[in-house]
Amino acid sequence: MRNLLNFLARYNNLIIFLLLEGIAIYLAVEGNDYHNIRLAKGIRLMTLGVEKNIAKTKTYLNLYSVNSKVAQENIDLRNRIEKMNKSDGNHFISFADSINNQQYTYTSAEIINNSTNRQKNFFTINKGKNQGIDVDMAVISPDGVAGIIVSSSTNFSVGMSLLNIDFHLSARIKSNGFFGSVTWDGRDYRFAYLNEIPLHVLINKGDTIITTGYSSIFPKGIMVGIIDSYEKAGGDFYKIRILLATDFRKINYVSVAGNLRKTEQAELEKQYK
Amino acid sequence: MINSIIRYTVIFVILLFLQVLLFNNIQFSGYINPYVYIMLILLLPVEIPSWLLLIICFFSGLTVDFFNGTPGIHTSATVFSGFIRPYVLRLISPRDGYEAGAIPAMAVYGLRWFMFYSGVIVFAHHLVLFYMEVFRFTDFFGTLLRVILSSIFSTIFIILAEYYRSGR
Repeated sequence: MRNLLNFLARYNNLIIFLLLEGIAIYLAVEGNDYHNIRLAKGIRLMTLGVEKNIAKTKTYLNLYSVNSKVAQENIDLRNRIEKMNKSDGNHFISFADSINNQQYTYTSAEIINNSTNRQKNFFTINKGKNQGIDVDMAVISPDGVAGIIVSSSTNFSVGMSLLNIDFHLSARIKSNGFFGSVTWDGRDYRFAYLNEIPLHVLINKGDTIITTGYSSIFPKGIMVGIIDSYEKAGGDFYKIRILLATDFRKINYVSVAGNLRKTEQAELEKQYK
Repeated sequence: MINSIIRYTVIFVILLFLQVLLFNNIQFSGYINPYVYIMLILLLPVEIPSWLLLIICFFSGLTVDFFNGTPGIHTSATVFSGFIRPYVLRLISPRDGYEAGAIPAMAVYGLRWFMFYSGVIVFAHHLVLFYMEVFRFTDFFGTLLRVILSSIFSTIFIILAEYYRSGR
């Protein structure tokens, strides 16, 4: 007993260190899981008050560019309505018919917390389960792909940004249809990489990269970015550097897309896995 | 005693605000992310019992984690730097030892001493922090470069802040 006490007295430093470090590493490992960031969510909700105020100030400073973007989007939408009205004249079902053809629902949201300078970036948006936001929905900025919702509470949701080394996205080159996966390497917030494009494919700088819609999270044809440069990676594939369409330093308002037929697709695909 | 508790709390709040409002928004080529709140741990008195030091490290790291939404990552880094701090201090102790109640500040022990002291602890902190953050060893040297560059920037800021503090 006395030896034990002596031992404890002598190494109490090390023991406390190991104990605290153990707790910290446990928290980190538990919170690092892709779909299991309950902890991160709980923690985020505690500091929400401060974050909201920071976000408010930032939004105010960005109003000018946001306004011009909203105006541009308005014009695009008006054009679309115009087209739809025309096609309604003949007696076919309109492409946007909400009963027959709608696959995605859109909700607009505001980003209230965001980071771009870490390896695993997440953002928080101001809508949650009450507004119909749920896990595995796609987050799309006015310019292109932004991220995926990974957890949601009653009124807030946390999304995994495209700027996250765990993020994978299926995307294709618009001009020739070849597809690969988009990942971020953790360095520059403006660039991501498209991998798995075979060497015989003709690639041009400036080609558009869009989503494929294979994952049933992102709708088909959402802008990802344009080709900035490319090189041969090891093996038979190109490594293509993409200039991302979304500027993650400025991102403010996003729309969240939920796939109404996701369960159907997932269940069908499950039979072959 | 009460006085110094208040003083360190104020220092910590200021550092936390600087970190969350300013340094978390620095984006410099993707390699430089300074974390300056570690300065709190540098400035605690030399004679502080190591269990107290470790506990202060734990809770200050946890607070930063709260604000960054990164559970455990900053905590593990601060606890590690708190663990090595007594050894670093012993390694570079002045010839006749530390005075009673001394604070490891630049105004007392000089620029070179403080540069070495803060450099070592900041580097240890960033090393744990950045490897915990990526949580993998692929691109090992990319992460190491990020550690080194960020440490340099954090240390420079901490030394500047020390100049400001001692000039006042």
